[in-house]
Amino acid sequence: MNSLFLNNQVIVYIFSETVLALLTLIIFVMALKFIRYWDFNSFSNFQLKLEKEANLVMTIATFLFTLKLLLLIYFVYTIDNLSLIVPGAMCGAGVISANDYGMTLLFVKIIVIFGLLLFLVVNHYDLLGKNYPLFRFKSWVIVTAALLIFGEFYLDISYFTNIDTSVPVSCCSALFGNLEGANPLPFGLDIKMLLVLFFTLYFGAVVALYLESRLLSTLLLALFGVIAYYSVVYFFGTYVYELPTHKCPFCMLQKEYNYIGYLIWGSLFFGLYFGFIWVIMSLRSYKLERIKLASILLLTLFVAINSFYVANYYLHNGVLLENIK
Amino acid sequence: MVEVENLNKIYTVGSKQEKVLDGITFHIQKGELVLLRGVSGSGKTTLLSILAGMEKPSSGKVLIDSEPISKLPDIHLSHFRAKKIGMVFQHFNLIENLTLLDNVLVPLVANRVGLKEAKEMALAALKNARIEHKKDAYPNRLSGGEKQRGAIARAIVAKPSLLLCDEPTANLDSKNSQSFIEQLMQMHKEGQTIVVATHDPIFETLECEHRIIDIKNGKIV
Repeated sequence: MNSLFLNNQVIVYIFSETVLALLTLIIFVMALKFIRYWDFNSFSNFQLKLEKEANLVMTIATFLFTLKLLLLIYFVYTIDNLSLIVPGAMCGAGVISANDYGMTLLFVKIIVIFGLLLFLVVNHYDLLGKNYPLFRFKSWVIVTAALLIFGEFYLDISYFTNIDTSVPVSCCSALFGNLEGANPLPFGLDIKMLLVLFFTLYFGAVVALYLESRLLSTLLLALFGVIAYYSVVYFFGTYVYELPTHKCPFCMLQKEYNYIGYLIWGSLFFGLYFGFIWVIMSLRSYKLERIKLASILLLTLFVAINSFYVANYYLHNGVLLENIK
Repeated sequence: MVEVENLNKIYTVGSKQEKVLDGITFHIQKGELVLLRGVSGSGKTTLLSILAGMEKPSSGKVLIDSEPISKLPDIHLSHFRAKKIGMVFQHFNLIENLTLLDNVLVPLVANRVGLKEAKEMALAALKNARIEHKKDAYPNRLSGGEKQRGAIARAIVAKPSLLLCDEPTANLDSKNSQSFIEQLMQMHKEGQTIVVATHDPIFETLECEHRIIDIKNGKIV
């Protein structure tokens, strides 16, 4: 075990994740039981017992999943703070790439949060029905989310126990500096094309959601998610830092940048999540206007914040940074 | 109106199981007055609590106005209870630090009735229960009979489909008991569906059409 594992924040984080993983195990087993035996039309002792247990399980799940949302923010905050301990790291970007588990863990966490939000929405609408109309679907969401949470827990332990504090890591300057000369953007895009795609996909996704086209919404939201990530790292982020070579998704989470990264990434992810949740729920004949509106507003907020940084820089300096070629 | 089929209730205390209701089946039509009769411990109150949606059965079907109340999610159950069930308790269960009028307003608040309309309804219910003159009094300033009339006003104020009374005369003297029975008959005449759980012999003098369901050791006899 390395010394970093005994860091206060890591201990708190791992302890919290362990407790939540144990609770997840309970609801996982119960959800499997529900999937196997649930029959709302039955008035048997077993079914009535299941209904009572369902109340308990859904309460635990709601509690657990809400905590997981908070714990994700704490995780980001923790790895960002660990940059003071891990040699070579200047922010979370260095810490997360300190071993092979980091990026996978972050990716799994992002997927888990989507599953948890989906559960919270499905659970809400299930309880609004008198006969638990989404109960089986909800149980499947719990089972899937639980499996992901177990995987996430394994990655948590593997990640934190495998950070070698004696070996310097590459951080944003080195990490993204290495890419100079090579094009780091996907599909051979340049920055101009990236921005055209960014705004086109944003408008497309918003219009598709507004017109309630499920297939188009899914496609455009997914593409916008990918393009938005690269746009923030390789273009908009540089205006947050006011430095054309500073291409980092993590530094903007720090105090020096007024924690704006939480708002930028939060509005992007929750905007995408709500969009996908709207699609999934509409497949089950639920037209969730508020969720759709939340998605559109959050994505608009995301685009507005990013655009603001560019506009603000231009208004103050009369020029743009050098990264548009 | 009320359909109960093969209803069972088992309480588990430690390793011991006690069957309080055993295969209860009956139907109640709209507008019927039904007396659930039985000695203390026969299961009347448990049955009434299940009909009120305050307890869940161990097994069996309970439908009120075709709604399976024992299976409704909590949010719907609370709404259903506030709207469709009125309950008169043995110990009245008035809230001590609210006036009688405010006590009667409570179910209307749960039903989200506007304050002006709610006050009108509460005053009408107090008048109907012949206790309007005590509307500003606190429960500790009321006699047993007055409390019971207040409790009736609270139970009927939201115009419930089903009125449940659990040993309503157990804490009343014979004069107030007789007065309660008169009120009960009046409500029955007006078409209210009523179920009364009692072992008070005074109900044998009931001078209106009614049905008796005798319960012994958790079974209908």
